[in-house]
Amino acid sequence: MNAAAVTLRGVAKTFPSAPPSSGTPSSGTTALAPTDLTIASGSFVAIVGPSGCGKSTLLRMIAGLTPPSTGHVERAEGAVGFVFQSPTLMPWATAQENCALPLALSGIDGSLAAPEALARVGLAGFEGAYPHELSGGMQMRVSIARAMVTSPRLLLMDEPFAALDELTRFRLNDDLIALWKQNGWTVVFVTHSIREAVFLAERVVVMSPRPGRIVADIAVDLPDRSPAARLSHAFTDQCARVSAVLEGAA
Amino acid sequence: MSRVLLPALFGILVLCAWEAAVRVMGVPAYIMPAPSAILAALASNAPDLLAGLAVTLEVTFAALILAVATGVLIAVLLASSPLAERTFFPYAVFLQVTPIVTIAPFIIIWVSNIFAVLLILAWMAAVFPIISNTLLGLKSVDRNLKDLFRLYGASRAQTLWKLSLPSCLPYFLGGLRISGGLALIGTVVAEMVAGTSGTRSGLAGRLLEASYRLELATAFACFALLSASGLGIYAALQWLSRRLLRRWHESAREEQV
Ligand SMILES: Nc1ncnc2c1ncn2[C@@H]1O[C@H](COP(=O)(O)OP(=O)(O)O)[C@@H](O)[C@H]1O
Ligand SMILES: [Mg+2]
Repeated sequence: MNAAAVTLRGVAKTFPSAPPSSGTPSSGTTALAPTDLTIASGSFVAIVGPSGCGKSTLLRMIAGLTPPSTGHVERAEGAVGFVFQSPTLMPWATAQENCALPLALSGIDGSLAAPEALARVGLAGFEGAYPHELSGGMQMRVSIARAMVTSPRLLLMDEPFAALDELTRFRLNDDLIALWKQNGWTVVFVTHSIREAVFLAERVVVMSPRPGRIVADIAVDLPDRSPAARLSHAFTDQCARVSAVLEGAA
Repeated sequence: MSRVLLPALFGILVLCAWEAAVRVMGVPAYIMPAPSAILAALASNAPDLLAGLAVTLEVTFAALILAVATGVLIAVLLASSPLAERTFFPYAVFLQVTPIVTIAPFIIIWVSNIFAVLLILAWMAAVFPIISNTLLGLKSVDRNLKDLFRLYGASRAQTLWKLSLPSCLPYFLGGLRISGGLALIGTVVAEMVAGTSGTRSGLAGRLLEASYRLELATAFACFALLSASGLGIYAALQWLSRRLLRRWHESAREEQV
């Protein structure tokens, strides 16, 4: 249970600067300075930091979507699910077809698994709906269902609820906690909301920009993560703690 | 309702004014025939004119189908490599900006089959919007969706069929609507330049012949048939486009009350 789901060893990323400016030998943008990070299997880790501090880059390197410039990423066996900031659905396909995509791409029939995944995110009955017929929150649920459909061991989420209104976000947060408890996933959740990070995660990794790096790694100890916990003192205290670290780092 | 009614009313009004003007001023039919005379010419020459129209439309549709097949193929190839696009796209533009009448004489010398000559010229007129629009569509594929396909190990063929082609469909259909009209125009221009005559000649050839003989009513009848065909092609492609995109694309969304 305590095996590492993800291990980063000296992982860094430098993007070559776009225009080869004359004269000045530019070294490019260091999106992430050499970083070590171990994520325990089954844990829920949030990554917070101001925009441009390399959160997405870090997550994409974990997913294998961006190759690191140096260092290496180790990932435990098993499927990976990725949820983008926007729902990223195919507009020409129904909720069910969108949800079944990861299976369809590996030649597996998803006609049972996809409706089941949709039901788990509360979208039973919307299998035949097209994305434009769904609200933003529902589209995000389809996106989460699609990430779940392969029964991933590791779920990577890049500011998935940033574009949603607060009420919808709270609901999806509650749902996500419930799903995480049910499924035993390892979740890495990127957000720029301290409150969201503290509410969801057992561990908050704080990042800082120029160059992107990890400046703090805080264990969050919340007695309960029920919707009511958002009003508790324990919650407010933890938020203040993370906030102080984040401000100190900036 | 008014979308059909208003233009139709306007058209009828213009025709009435035309008829009245020709009658009142006593304009001879070899200068300006009245709509009633054109209608009569259309009726009396119907079998002949429809045969000509069939020849013209045969070339038009063959050219359009060829333009779709080659245009999409060329766009997919150009989209697969920036180097290929930079190298070859200027020649697609060249194809577009060159007036086909100036190329026609060469094609007529090089190719003996008249159907092939017309086909080539009409294809040249029609293919560019397909290439450029499809290419634009292929390059506008959502980056996150591309990443998603990569994450789940999609092959190049899967990415093409399940992602690139569906997402460029609205762009392609926009190009197709333009190309449909251009294929007809290209065919007509080619027929006029190639100077086809006889029973296998298209409607443009008959229009020229009729005008040489000062049978202006017949020439106008040919013109009317060609215009109607152009409108028909546009309407058909518009319908096809709406049908294909109805479920998912903004452009074809049925207006809600
Ligand atoms: N593909 C890329 N090419 C060049 N620079 C990039 C690329 N992706 C990210 N960057 C740069 O790397 C830095 C970190 O970006 P990102 O990881 O997206 O930050 P965050 O997700 O924390 O907002 C930014 O300065 C950004 O401009
Ligand atoms: Mg980001």
